[in-house]
Amino acid sequence: MFGLFFIIVLFILSFISPFICRYDYEEIVMKSRFALPSLEHLLGCDEVGRDILSRILYGAKFTLSIGILSTAFSCVFGIILGAISGYFGGIVDTLIMRILDIFQAFPNILLAIAISTVLGKGFDKVIYAIGISGIPAFARMMRANILTIRDSEYIEAASSINCTTFRIITRHVIPNAIAPLIVQVAMGIASAALAASGLSFLGFGVQAPTPEWGAMLASARGYMRDYPHMVIIPGIFIMLTVLSFNLVGDAIRDALDPKLRD
Amino acid sequence: MEQKINHQDVFFSVEDLKVEYTSGGEAIHAVNGVSFQLPKGSTIGLVGETGAGKTSIAKAIMRILPDHATRSVEGKIYFDGQELLSLPENDMRKYRGKSISMIFQDPMTALNPVKTVVAQIAEGIHLHQKLSKHDAIKAAIKMLETVGISEDRAYEYPHQFSGGMKQRVVIAIALACNPQLLIADEPTTALDVTIQAQVLDLMKNLQKETGTAMILITHDLGVVADVCESVAVVYAGKIVEYGSKEDIFDHASHPYTIGLFGALPDLSKDVARLSPVEGLPPDPSNLPEGCSFAPRCPHATPECSKAPIPMTELRPGHQVRCIRCKELCKNISGERGSK
Amino acid sequence: MSRYIIKRLLQMIPILIIVAILIFTLMYFVPGDPVQIILGDNATPEQIAETEAQLGLDQPYIIRLGKYLAGICHLDFGTSYMKGTPVGADLLERFPNTLILSSLSILFTIVIGIPLGIQCAMHANKLTDKILMFLTMLGNSMPGFWLGLLLVLLFSVKLNWLPSNGADGLEYFILPVVANSVGSLADITRQTRSSMLEVIRSDYVVTARSKGLPENEVIWKHALPNALIPIITLCGSRFGMMLGGTVIIESVFTIPGIGTYLVNGINSRDYPIVQGSIIYIAFIFAIIMLITDLIYAYVDPRIKAQYVGGAAKKRKVKVSEN
Repeated sequence: MFGLFFIIVLFILSFISPFICRYDYEEIVMKSRFALPSLEHLLGCDEVGRDILSRILYGAKFTLSIGILSTAFSCVFGIILGAISGYFGGIVDTLIMRILDIFQAFPNILLAIAISTVLGKGFDKVIYAIGISGIPAFARMMRANILTIRDSEYIEAASSINCTTFRIITRHVIPNAIAPLIVQVAMGIASAALAASGLSFLGFGVQAPTPEWGAMLASARGYMRDYPHMVIIPGIFIMLTVLSFNLVGDAIRDALDPKLRD
Repeated sequence: MEQKINHQDVFFSVEDLKVEYTSGGEAIHAVNGVSFQLPKGSTIGLVGETGAGKTSIAKAIMRILPDHATRSVEGKIYFDGQELLSLPENDMRKYRGKSISMIFQDPMTALNPVKTVVAQIAEGIHLHQKLSKHDAIKAAIKMLETVGISEDRAYEYPHQFSGGMKQRVVIAIALACNPQLLIADEPTTALDVTIQAQVLDLMKNLQKETGTAMILITHDLGVVADVCESVAVVYAGKIVEYGSKEDIFDHASHPYTIGLFGALPDLSKDVARLSPVEGLPPDPSNLPEGCSFAPRCPHATPECSKAPIPMTELRPGHQVRCIRCKELCKNISGERGSK
Repeated sequence: MSRYIIKRLLQMIPILIIVAILIFTLMYFVPGDPVQIILGDNATPEQIAETEAQLGLDQPYIIRLGKYLAGICHLDFGTSYMKGTPVGADLLERFPNTLILSSLSILFTIVIGIPLGIQCAMHANKLTDKILMFLTMLGNSMPGFWLGLLLVLLFSVKLNWLPSNGADGLEYFILPVVANSVGSLADITRQTRSSMLEVIRSDYVVTARSKGLPENEVIWKHALPNALIPIITLCGSRFGMMLGGTVIIESVFTIPGIGTYLVNGINSRDYPIVQGSIIYIAFIFAIIMLITDLIYAYVDPRIKAQYVGGAAKKRKVKVSEN
């Protein structure tokens, strides 16, 4: 419940932040450089005197949307590939799975780095990079689910009363594969947000004056010895956001799987 | 004091055993005051439907009830004069597998899939008989041969064995340390009919050789007739009829027992339909006040549902938990006489 | 068994070749001209043409690709545009650091995570379990590099106990290993818990208990081996992820490994370095996956039977199953 609450609050705040924050997220105030958290600046200021709270709230937009959009991307393509592969089997299956094998020949983050090298830097590029690197996991899960479902008796029953393939897929297979999928989506958003912060931290993602949290960490790193708050605060927000999605995913899984309850 | 001497005489006795599970906050009364006795070397059959609490009785004796689901275990279990339920876990462990051992219902899942069968048998021998690992393996191979599995298959894994073979291995594990009491929980239920007879014969022979006492849990009256000396019919966690095999088979007195026999096909008579016991066993989380069989009983009177029914001794050793058993008995023998 | 290993190694070759082609092609299409970067903004067109010819960049795609693949077969990953050093040698020199970092991380993860997971499973839904589960959730949600920064703040800056950058001894790896393991540690603990929970209630564990075995032995000798398969799967993929994660961790702690090499390569558009590092990591990753599969066979005789796969053996299994 905390998870859902935090996500919703963050979401709302990120949109209304320009109206409620006392400072603009890119307003440079040299006299308040490195200001520590105080009543004036609740979370302090960065190396050029920008208010960290404003930047964090504004930046939430990036973390949330990268997480959600890239997962949506992987999810849609993953489901399509996995469903085709699992339902039709045979040569289509082999072909798709071999292609995925190649994508999975790298650790995920490396794949994202490689893709973002090609695509270049920036918000939308990060979404593609992380989205593409997430496809195989979704496709494999979907395929595995479909294989189990395809061979189960209620599908046999459906096809024995002359259901069309399309009807079987949309009415029987997908609804039964959807539960694990929802969990995977929540967890996927969490890990995508984590990956995004890593990419931006390395300088391959959203670029520094934009207040993306990973990018904020990267630029704060040089001042961390003297002004630790600049490093600690964005990290805590990344952690809380990722934690929230993980908690939501966990809660859904527990709700869907009575076996795990006792 | 007198009672204690009594327990030492009796070798093995269970007194007023109660087992309660918990599931979703609800109490489930699996065993509700079961008592029986077993002389050395003899066999008692616990008969009843699935869910009657037979396996819970067995696991309570072994003290291997699942921790997470068990709410309470009450009563007394005396083995060779020693009360088992109050023993510390460490001392209980010395009985388990050594003096008392158990054969499980489903041989498919009772064996550890990642260990060789010989290792699974040798483990107990090594532990209880203080043999070296090497000697324990040797003894285990001998044990395997006793149950009819040759040495060259000893180092194979359970998945390489058929169901009947697996059950032989399970029996070998149970008998590895020459237990004084063997609890066999539906040992043949999961097996093919042809294999059932083989396994049963094997158990009977081994029991005769070693003089092991046995508690045989089954819903198969044929098996009971074949193996047991005394029988306890279990219904909804209670013994409803208890006596020698002859008592139960020839003078079945509880309506439930009679029902069970009625559900058996009788080849000597030409009957168009079997007569099953109508209805379903009661919900163990919500047992009826009086006789738990009353809702299904053709002879039930309002009286039956008022208070818990005590055991009535029909003749020495033959007890029935039914307030109408005496009159019913007359009726039945009357019917029999008239035929 | 060795036949299986050889088969798997052979299967790796086409995948690695395709990976190499893929990476090469991707890098080919990357916008930005490396020659421009090498020579700076003031280079004349003649100079640029000369350098291009020198590096072979003027040749068509297919010829460059062919040359590159041929080179890889001799373990020649080309030379760095910037430094002019052979990439293969650089990788070999830097690899030990990456390997130490990721192996120590997975070791740390396994040694701590599995016992923790078992404890959680044995005390499922009690207080210890709940606290540990929350902590693992937290660990799972924490960026490793951020934890790295915090560790540096605490142990290097404040307490001055441990070095914060470099790789001149084992003590240099302590903080990076902890930072690199936090996510995996959390994951392995959770996985161990859930697969132990499933196994702990199975019949053969009850059988083991009914033999009178002490609880410790029941858990470690009977339950754990059966719970291991999904844990090993996760360890394998986590090891791979750590290999990738070292890219970030290495740059936090400035460890001269393949990760920092790759990042520098990308930043300076030194494509031979980028290609070489990625293919190298893909190769190591494939080896790890193979090792994972071999460990399966060691742990589970049923899987081993599949691998050995002799026709006679299979028949025998089938017969006895019927």
